[in-house]
Amino acid sequence: MKSMYDAQITAIVFDTEGAIFALGDGSVRFEDGAFSAAHDGAILCAVAHPSGTGIVTGGDDGRLIWHRRTDAGVLATSARGQWIDAVDASAESGLIAFSAGKTLTVLDAKDAGFRRDFHHERTVSGVAFEPRGRRIATSTYGGAALWFARIAEQKPTFLKWAGSHTAVTFSPDGAFVVTAMQDSQLHGWRLKDQKNMRMGGYPSKVRAFSFLSNGQLLATSGAQGAVLWPFVGANGPMGREATEIGFDEGSLVALVASQPKHGVLAAGLNDGRVWLADPPGQGLNFLKAERGAPITALAMSPDATRVAWADEDGNAGVSEAG
Amino acid sequence: MTDKIPVTVLTGYLGAGKTTLLNRILTEDHGKRYAVIVNEFGEIGIDNDLVVGADEDVFEMNNGCVCCTVRGDLIRIIAGLMKRQKPGAPAFDAIIVETTGLADPGPVAQTFFVDEDVKAKTQLDSVTALVDAKHVMARLDDSKEAREQVAFADRIILNKTDLVSEAELVAVEARLRKLNPLAPITRAERANIPLDQVLGLGGFDLGRILDINPEFANPAHGEPGHVHDEHCGHDHHDHDHDHGHAHAHHDHDHHPGARGHAHEDDIKGISLSLDRPMDGTKFTAWLDRLLGEQGQNILRAKGIIDVSGEDRRLVFQAVHMILEGDLQREWGANERRWSRAVFIGRELDEAALKAGFEACAA
Repeated sequence: MKSMYDAQITAIVFDTEGAIFALGDGSVRFEDGAFSAAHDGAILCAVAHPSGTGIVTGGDDGRLIWHRRTDAGVLATSARGQWIDAVDASAESGLIAFSAGKTLTVLDAKDAGFRRDFHHERTVSGVAFEPRGRRIATSTYGGAALWFARIAEQKPTFLKWAGSHTAVTFSPDGAFVVTAMQDSQLHGWRLKDQKNMRMGGYPSKVRAFSFLSNGQLLATSGAQGAVLWPFVGANGPMGREATEIGFDEGSLVALVASQPKHGVLAAGLNDGRVWLADPPGQGLNFLKAERGAPITALAMSPDATRVAWADEDGNAGVSEAG
Repeated sequence: MTDKIPVTVLTGYLGAGKTTLLNRILTEDHGKRYAVIVNEFGEIGIDNDLVVGADEDVFEMNNGCVCCTVRGDLIRIIAGLMKRQKPGAPAFDAIIVETTGLADPGPVAQTFFVDEDVKAKTQLDSVTALVDAKHVMARLDDSKEAREQVAFADRIILNKTDLVSEAELVAVEARLRKLNPLAPITRAERANIPLDQVLGLGGFDLGRILDINPEFANPAHGEPGHVHDEHCGHDHHDHDHDHGHAHAHHDHDHHPGARGHAHEDDIKGISLSLDRPMDGTKFTAWLDRLLGEQGQNILRAKGIIDVSGEDRRLVFQAVHMILEGDLQREWGANERRWSRAVFIGRELDEAALKAGFEACAA
């Protein structure tokens, strides 16, 4: 499937039925043609709803909206209409977390009355649930904060590392937290002892990272190929080298997508190409071989059989990965 | 690919008239789409869909370099604004960034040179400082930030001129010129300045650094803003000196001014020129070393250099340690070939700068 939109696609997610595209004009387009226009402004972030049906989007209108194929409803609004910059959801706990300015807000998909607001000293840039959905990591200036999702009054555990952290993720075993940084590197912490892991050497900022192969590999963008960090054993990548696949001197990997339980990796390049690789095999299968505008959104279905992509010119497509 | 979106930074302390100007930019019938990034703790009263609140989140990048002090909130907001970009069309015709009176314009400007995403989508057009004719002298006396904002600007709008006398305006302009000999000063009442004098100035565009000269850096006698220096060749005492201009080495008898600032401002602009061609290698080595050693104190610099054996003009501009230079158009057949540069900064040693500059002669 291929389509073209007259606005930029800012995020793609898969729910149980298919790919869903979130656009810079505030609309949401479902792969089957269904349409939802609920935001007044651009969609800045999106995630699949914990129920497995529909997409949850955060906008620069300060609204968090759940769009399904037949209807859409506002789940929450931010204080003073601040931009909603980041969102994550956990199917395991049924919780949704989003950030606006310095505030992290937690909602329960099954309990409309539940809301927790957690405040940070600096602006929150990224939000990630721990795999069981009970804790949340946020990235901010100076490190990452760890919150218990449901507890109203608490002091977060702050994982310190100087610099500006721009995104965050949890390893699938819950043992590590990894952030992307403004200065073209990753930083990681082993949670049991807060041991620091510096993961650098990138020529460009890391915009995307994703675990695959049962959490044994962390794939990232930000280099001429996709960078793979080994997360095997208690030490994770400490003392080990990263590998790079699909190296191409003339382009940069802009985005990566994968699923933690599968060994397949998708990459979107800044020259418009999209490839799929089974990392151990090192072979690239180009899902989109023609060059064009940079890839701005990329997603893989939960069963790793389909990949959806979009470029800066509004072209979008869904390819079979198998 | 679409063109980069020009960004105008508007500085000025509370009450200088920024809100009035921003409201004009947003409401005037110009057929353009502007996004305005305002400080959320600043002045209120701007109501428009495309106004975004910023939190002046300044941070240093990990390499410890002062020019890598940037505004994290701007990186985030500009990335968000770019999501409104449509295929083949820029998201906005221009972006205007308002800062508070306490903001250091350096990190704001540096963000546009340091961050790869911001740099890919936008281009810093100019920094405009809005000052209030009635209160600016007191502000310049007591606020380091006020002096820095004036010194950093590509253009200075002297607002609320209807509230002061012509003599006071002349005094204010003289002091502004000493702080910043590069920026044209435009008088305004109720921020009634034409928008084309605020937007689209190309203040950081090497191709538009066409003219830097003492006539501009220092207006002629009798013109508002003229600063008397050793090149004047006239008796200083002929002139009305109650504006508190200051020469540390001229102990002449002028009024210190109502605010008693007989001292020089800590920031000043230094104009250098040379009528002989310069050695390109020597000059770039000198400039690199100067910015490396004193870049923290140098807010802005611009220059046009006559390089020996080169038919094109070497043009440069710098923000602290971030230097951009390029060979631009050829010298005209009847054009006076000479080198000139202006450095604006704190605690600059004028004699040393002059000696260093002149030592680069071919």
